[in-house]
Amino acid sequence: MNVRREQLSIDPEKCTGCRRCMIACAMKHHDRIDPDLSRVNVIRFDSQDLDVPVICMACDTAPCIKVCPMNARIRQANGTVTTNPDVCIGCRACVYICPAATPRINPYTGRTMTCDMCEGETEPWCVAACRQEKALTICTQGGTFHRAARQAAGKTKKYHT
Amino acid sequence: MKLVIIGNGIAGNQVAFDVRKKDPVARIVILSAEDVPEYDPCSLPYYLGGECLRADVFRKRPEDYADNRIELRYDSRAVSIDPDKKQVTLHTGEQIDYDKLVLAHGGDLFVPPIPGIDNSGVFSCKQLAETQKLADHKGTSAVVIGSGAIGIEAAEALKRKGYDVHVIELMDWILPSLFDEPTARRLETELTGYGIQVFTHEKVMEITGKGQVTGVVTDRRTIDCDTVVVATGVVPGTALAKTAGIDTGRGIQVNRQMMTSVPDIYACGDCVETIDACTGEIAMFQLKHNAIEQAQVAARHILGEPVRYLGAYAFARAHFFDTHAATFGKTQRALDCVFGDKHIVEREDQNNYLRVVLLDNKIVGGQAIGKFADDLGLLIGAMWRKDDFLDIAAKMRSLPRGGAVHAWPMVRLGRVLGM
Repeated sequence: MNVRREQLSIDPEKCTGCRRCMIACAMKHHDRIDPDLSRVNVIRFDSQDLDVPVICMACDTAPCIKVCPMNARIRQANGTVTTNPDVCIGCRACVYICPAATPRINPYTGRTMTCDMCEGETEPWCVAACRQEKALTICTQGGTFHRAARQAAGKTKKYHT
Repeated sequence: MKLVIIGNGIAGNQVAFDVRKKDPVARIVILSAEDVPEYDPCSLPYYLGGECLRADVFRKRPEDYADNRIELRYDSRAVSIDPDKKQVTLHTGEQIDYDKLVLAHGGDLFVPPIPGIDNSGVFSCKQLAETQKLADHKGTSAVVIGSGAIGIEAAEALKRKGYDVHVIELMDWILPSLFDEPTARRLETELTGYGIQVFTHEKVMEITGKGQVTGVVTDRRTIDCDTVVVATGVVPGTALAKTAGIDTGRGIQVNRQMMTSVPDIYACGDCVETIDACTGEIAMFQLKHNAIEQAQVAARHILGEPVRYLGAYAFARAHFFDTHAATFGKTQRALDCVFGDKHIVEREDQNNYLRVVLLDNKIVGGQAIGKFADDLGLLIGAMWRKDDFLDIAAKMRSLPRGGAVHAWPMVRLGRVLGM
């Protein structure tokens, strides 16, 4: 298992629901302006008037890698977990087991896709698209923001129960 | 240290490669009953149906073993273990010494005692060699006996190959151990819609034909066919463990470190019985993710790390053509022998269906078809956390209309449950 040093961090409080990240993601990976092809998913909760971007968190013990019948879920060098579209048969096991329900299904091929942190780029495109709002940011492991995010994650449980 | 692993399946390889990663000097021997490198039994039905190539079935290449200095011995079936001398005897009579032994030989296909089951044209879909025979077989009409996950996947694969497919299930509904009746009935309708005939509550009495299969006789009808696929389940292999005096129940009994009752012998994979991570009862889920997790625990304990296995959990998906369904945890039927306040939450929307099983207001299982299945992972998370259903509902009602950003995971969960 590779040690990840970078992680996309989400701040739903700052998300305005503009979905520029989705457009940027689809542009980067498929050269098309089509939110259906985005790996970031901005979920709209009408009842709470909320927009929340949801993205693959590349769990350290990713269950999707274990349940994939074709072994198409691969951990990459930068720590992210992506689907190998050549082997994927679109059974969606990774979608169902994901604790955050993040893998998205490419509606044109039926295969799944998740965030690869725009490997090779200086910065993921969704982060660049969200530079003004800063709802999507990069946090470095051990950094101040990382610690704050960890603490916030601990609090969520309290609210939750 | 000489580590001997019996079984070249997913669990066996996981142990071997995990140990090799941390211990460069240990001598590792894998005894394989087959003559191919590690492959994934889960992908065999897709190879059969032509959805993937034969090369994609394999998880390891032959050279991976040499690169990691793992000795892989093909066609070596272990027949007995002598724990006092620390020796494994092969079917050729050869004896192999070990310091640590891992039993990862998995399960054997349960072959029901039906007359005519030895005819040519009767196949299984559990091992690569058998599946290859079935893939090379030319036929027009097939009967799949048993409708577990393998049976349904094999039926789909044969349908893709152009066969007339009939599925025969002894129990009242298809996928009986994974789904409850309302879910299974919907899946049955979908299967029938794709042209696969499903007969539930029927018992196969005989496979007819002298030498070559000509048909299947059940207690209600006779079906003419030239191919029979036996998919009646997998039983854990305990015969080998018994020769070493290891305690066995339905499977090999292990503790939280995957050690058996005999020192220096570990067991993992399909052949063990473990505990359910959520309920703590003895359970056997012969699923790939459990095999991997058990093997990781065994490997870490062999390396001397303190480790504790949390337990197995049930998660399976049923996928055929355009129908997608998934299940996790316990079914309503499995809860019948448990005390407690049981409650079912159902949601339905055209072909989509969600069924959540609550025990004492905690989510213990669920099944979904279609779009509801996409968010099933949230419910699995709720099962792990043991969220109280009434608390979620009460909290959802008290949330303010705008804002409440902090509670978005719960809002999302509540939306899945239709609150």
